[in-house]
Amino acid sequence: MEQTLVATAEEAPPAADLAFDRLYRSSRDDVYAYVASLLRDAPAAEEVTAAAFERAYRKRNRFDPERGEPRAWLFGIARNAALDELRRRGRQAELTADPADLDGAGLDEGAAHSERRLAVASALERLEPRERELIALKFFAGLENREIAQVLGISESNAGTKLHRAMTKLREACNGDA
Amino acid sequence: METPKDDRLAEDLRALRPTPRPHFTAELDERAAAGFPRRSRLPRPFRSAPVICTAMRNKRPEHLRRRLLLPAGGLAVVAIALVTAVDAINDTSTDSTSGGGSGVLSLTAPAPEAQEPMRAAAPPVETSAEEATAASGAASDAASNLNFDGSGRYVPGRAHLTSKPGIRNRAVERSAQLVLGADPADVAEDSSKVLEAVHAHNGIVMRSSTRQGEAGVAGARFELLIPSARLGDALAALSAIDEVRSRHEATADITAPTVRVGELLQDSKARIDSLLGQLEAAETESEREAVEAELRQERRHRARLRAELQHLQRRADLSRVLVRIETGAAEEPSGGGAWGVDDALDDAGRVLAVAAAVTVVALAILGPIALIALLAWLTHRAWVRRERRRVLS
Repeated sequence: MEQTLVATAEEAPPAADLAFDRLYRSSRDDVYAYVASLLRDAPAAEEVTAAAFERAYRKRNRFDPERGEPRAWLFGIARNAALDELRRRGRQAELTADPADLDGAGLDEGAAHSERRLAVASALERLEPRERELIALKFFAGLENREIAQVLGISESNAGTKLHRAMTKLREACNGDA
Repeated sequence: METPKDDRLAEDLRALRPTPRPHFTAELDERAAAGFPRRSRLPRPFRSAPVICTAMRNKRPEHLRRRLLLPAGGLAVVAIALVTAVDAINDTSTDSTSGGGSGVLSLTAPAPEAQEPMRAAAPPVETSAEEATAASGAASDAASNLNFDGSGRYVPGRAHLTSKPGIRNRAVERSAQLVLGADPADVAEDSSKVLEAVHAHNGIVMRSSTRQGEAGVAGARFELLIPSARLGDALAALSAIDEVRSRHEATADITAPTVRVGELLQDSKARIDSLLGQLEAAETESEREAVEAELRQERRHRARLRAELQHLQRRADLSRVLVRIETGAAEEPSGGGAWGVDDALDDAGRVLAVAAAVTVVALAILGPIALIALLAWLTHRAWVRRERRRVLS
């Protein structure tokens, strides 16, 4: 996704605002999906998503495109906000429980699909939080491996390896269910 | 159930993606259009409450507190720095006026007993009439009580406190500085006269040096101890030797330490008397030894107190006087003549020096505070990062 928050000098404020607006519109639901998958609490996810955008908006002029993609920058802010929320509320225990809050969209597409997706959701719950986060960044937020690496502060190859391992474990967990 | 293929698994995962409520996205869109106005951080139950909490939210107490806290802290630090700087500058000024004395009370006005008109007297420092009266009264009382032995030598320890009714008993340390102007040829003769005057007033020459040469090089310097009782007469005699270029006098009230040490000494004496009584009444050898040990310790304590008291008495009874004989042109006293470019430069230099002093003091205060704040911020940041990592581990 080619976006930048930096504009030329003569049109700096409006261009930066426009760039942020584009980033907001393209990432709003993705950020929510990622945050919701971390917090597993829809109202809290809404609060944190709004807070993350608010924080990003205030920092928009400090964004440095040389340090990464705009979406990675935004998801980094959202991640910190979500982790702070978890830390503040001592929700560590709930990360491994309470799967009911996941809105399983598309569960009405047929019994076979529903059954399979319930199995996937159940397998997802059994993954480690870090692995679930990787999968959320990839499939809920739609980030590229390069962007995931920037969000997590690791190398792209490392991100790819970890994601592969998480997918393997998820597949095995689905096999176990089967 | 079949094992999901990768693409099917990815499809299923995407289908499980949480989606926001339309109401939330609409509200967020509105906030985005409004430029994300700040919200309060009230707990969620309060946010859902409609009217009263909206008013509470609008007050934004946390943000207000944060906004006020920083400037208030900055102001406090600057105020502390300024007060410290002013205090330091005042201390420096007092020290320079009183010639390195304690500077509790300093008088730089020309002494009334000066017999020669002073050409370059320093501007008088504002001193309350009560303090000045008390100081001079104490000094004159000290004069009447000063003790000398048959050979005219000073005997310390009897005249350190005034006892005149109506005036508080005070022990006052006095000091003076006198600068005389002389021709180079007269330096030796003037030096002899200084020594004569000192001896005539039962003073002591602590240190002296005389230098011959041309104008500006030749000169002399005397560090003297003059009985406080005769300080006025001695200064008058010294001032009569040659042209007085400047004369400063300072006093410091040392009543409090003198009284305190005196009281401690009395307590110690009473304690020794009591111990002697106990020693007489002691029946066993061990009791006697214990009392004697305590007695020895108390006597050592009394000796220390007595020495301290004698030192204080000596400070009150003998005044330090510095006499300098200068040759060459006298320095133009500040404030004399028309104000010109040189004066402006001098003033500018002084202002810059004061500003630099204030800056140094402020930096001395702010530097450590900033360092502590930086360390605290770095520690907090590291802790937050560690906690964030821990949340997901």
